[in-house]
Amino acid sequence: MQPARASTLSAEPVAGNSAAAGFDRPLLLTPGRDLAGFVGRLVGKAVLAGVASVSILAVLLIFAFITYRAWPFFAEGGLVEMLGSSQWYPTHDQAEFGALSMFYGSGIVTLGAMVVAVPLGLLAAVCLSDVMSFGIRQYAKPVIEILAAIPSVAYGFFAVLVVAPWLQQRWGMDTGTNALNAAGVLAIMALPTIISISEDAISAVGRDLREGAYALGSTRAETMVKVVIPAAHSGIVAGIVLGIMRAVGETMAVWMASGMSAQIPSRWWDLGQSVRTLTATIAQEMGEAPKGGSHRQALFALGFTLLAITFCLNMVSEYFLARAKRPAKAKSK
Amino acid sequence: MRRRLRTYLDRAFTGSSLLSILMMSAALVIILAPMMYRGSKAVLFRGTVEFRKMQLNEPMFHRGNSQAIAEETERTEAARKPVYDLLERFGALLDTELSQKRARRLYRELKKQLRNRVENGEISQDRCDELQGRAKQLRNALVDAYEAGDNETAQRKLAVVLEPGNSALLAGTVGEQLVGEAGSYAEILQTMDLSQRGLYRREYLAVKDIVGKLLGPPPEQRGQAHLTEFRYGATRWDRARQLLDELLWKTTWAAQENGGALSEGRTKRADLFRQTQLARLFDIIERDAEKMLAPKRTFYWQYFIDDCTPGHLFGGVGPEILGTVLLTALAIGFSVPLGIVSAAYLIECKRDSCFVRAVRVCINTLAGVPSIVFGLFGLAFFLDWLPARAPWLGFRPGSNILAGALTLAILVLPIIIRASEEAIRSVPRTYKEAALATGAGGLRTFLTVTLPAALPGILTGIVLSLGRAAGETAPILFTAAVAWRMGMPRSLLEGGTRALSYSSYDVAVGDRVAMDAPHNQYGMVMTLVLLVLLLNMFAIVIRSRVARKLRGQ
Repeated sequence: MQPARASTLSAEPVAGNSAAAGFDRPLLLTPGRDLAGFVGRLVGKAVLAGVASVSILAVLLIFAFITYRAWPFFAEGGLVEMLGSSQWYPTHDQAEFGALSMFYGSGIVTLGAMVVAVPLGLLAAVCLSDVMSFGIRQYAKPVIEILAAIPSVAYGFFAVLVVAPWLQQRWGMDTGTNALNAAGVLAIMALPTIISISEDAISAVGRDLREGAYALGSTRAETMVKVVIPAAHSGIVAGIVLGIMRAVGETMAVWMASGMSAQIPSRWWDLGQSVRTLTATIAQEMGEAPKGGSHRQALFALGFTLLAITFCLNMVSEYFLARAKRPAKAKSK
Repeated sequence: MRRRLRTYLDRAFTGSSLLSILMMSAALVIILAPMMYRGSKAVLFRGTVEFRKMQLNEPMFHRGNSQAIAEETERTEAARKPVYDLLERFGALLDTELSQKRARRLYRELKKQLRNRVENGEISQDRCDELQGRAKQLRNALVDAYEAGDNETAQRKLAVVLEPGNSALLAGTVGEQLVGEAGSYAEILQTMDLSQRGLYRREYLAVKDIVGKLLGPPPEQRGQAHLTEFRYGATRWDRARQLLDELLWKTTWAAQENGGALSEGRTKRADLFRQTQLARLFDIIERDAEKMLAPKRTFYWQYFIDDCTPGHLFGGVGPEILGTVLLTALAIGFSVPLGIVSAAYLIECKRDSCFVRAVRVCINTLAGVPSIVFGLFGLAFFLDWLPARAPWLGFRPGSNILAGALTLAILVLPIIIRASEEAIRSVPRTYKEAALATGAGGLRTFLTVTLPAALPGILTGIVLSLGRAAGETAPILFTAAVAWRMGMPRSLLEGGTRALSYSSYDVAVGDRVAMDAPHNQYGMVMTLVLLVLLLNMFAIVIRSRVARKLRGQ
């Protein structure tokens, strides 16, 4: 099966494997076996490369198929309509596909989540890397891992059945499933991403910088805020961008918590209103959209914009992650 | 002064950072505790006799000791009998049409009887006509009395029937019964306000409905109901308590004058039926509820293997677990070989070639694609494109398990590749060098030295991605998951399956299940979270062992 056998390529017989029996084999390979070994190794490598390129294939296929399905919508000038109006009436006779309210919904929910998650996540990252002792950290880390592991549908379940009634009864909101609820749930879901990546970045800032700052007489807070965090900012930004990606791309929790009304409230910062996000719209309406109809094309177009947004964000985070790694290398040289 | 401020700031910073971790731990507890607590009630609860009957009689479950249950049923039926009797008698009273029909039937029987007697020559034709005319008057009066909307009219009409001469006149005929009916009606009238009859009827129906939910339908109607939920009473004691409360107290919602939320008002139902015969019912049920339902502590471990009735009202989450396990296992089965080989290639072969960099970028992109987009892709590729363009692959346009598993496989691929890469990279160089020095080739070194050393780390990654795949909903939303189907599909391509994640969504937004079986809502999500958490705990344990081993060396 695997022609690239190690023993055939090595010039001398292998003592360890075939013990005494190996000694009577010729020391040099015959040209035929040499060629077979060479070809075999080449084929083996090609097979490995083929398997490794499955992820390239998957990405290409995803982009190709989402674009292919969304193309008829964009070809009819749907992009202008999608970004220019908030009239979403996909099933009318005169169907309208203005998705501005969904973009607003995704935006406001993500913004709300980040306002909570970024400071909290930064503080927690600092706490994990510099404040806590090793012993306590052993117990704090699994908390974050478990937060990351809980399925999004369970978060949505919590938002609908626990948070929503509480918001309604305790705080007298008109509806419990609203932007505030969705943003809160998203904040919890984005926290583990932000924390783990920022913590890596903060830990990666060497002892020398910290000790230098302490030697100058600064307190821990000053060391962190003025020295360590600025030094680790690339990694932190990458973590925040990944957190935003998680929030933008999240489906189930937002679908359940946001209330699903395609509207832009008269005051845009009003978190008490029900909103609707891109992801939730796709999840909700795809089941009812007839195959080959313009509704389905429009939903694929929404999916395409979502893919494009996350792809751009991914590039940004890659850039910052790469930058976070570079100084360490430069220093070591 | 300045220095003190700095110290305070420092302490505030430390405190708030500790607080943030505390807040997260609190959030974790707040999220998990109600799910676990309320979910555990789906498994551990006080089951009533109705529960045991259902477990025995429904072919879906069919378990239990039939003899013991029969004895128990007998005991509880004895306790319930007064309730059903009371309900039936009171119902007959309220049903004026039935009473009128009875009066008319009696009159017809009387006519027949009289005709017979004339033919037999017992009475003369004139006598017969007289009796019949009189009886007709009585019947009309009685029917009017039944129909009357207030006590006064009814009593006036009854007085006509109850004139002392009548019973003497009709003695020895069916007509006597007619008078008897009137007598018992007159008695009832003393306790019942006829102008309230419409109200009584409405309330009676509500009471009957609740009693039906609490104790099940009356014995003679058992087995007629088509749906399981109407065949049995309250199967759980907590539900029974809730129904009991509903039965004893009537809740009304009144609009507030200022247009605010509706305000709640509670009245005692026994007061609504004051002075009627039904008033006793409430006392009886309140006193004997435990005897009627015989609640017992139940550990319903079969919750995790049982099928359930439509709408998740009764039964367990067996098919959901099976579907999730199947989807997850298949997905991991596809992606693990691919992932490990990819990781090996990325690390062992040309480190920084253009191709390797492209693969890395693609892995990162794949990791960042939103889960719903995976679902869209699965829909477009596995359900739309493949069946149309490559029918020989066997994919069909309907959702099926294989499509869902393949979609999930792409989703977890980057996780597995990254974890494997990390694990392989963390194997000390010396291992590999030692193997190479003994003369082993690249492949052999990898298979016999590097891979076994990296295996625990790879396993951690696999277990984590198992958890991820089990919890994902959006990718299987369009490709594999269905809210309801009987049992499991016969093959991987035949149809969609129920899955824990999608069913959790489905029960969370379902009204019926929220009202009648909230424990099943929480039970579903508890099962999902438990599954995912157990997998994660497992991963954490493996990793800590590996870490200890590495530190030891």
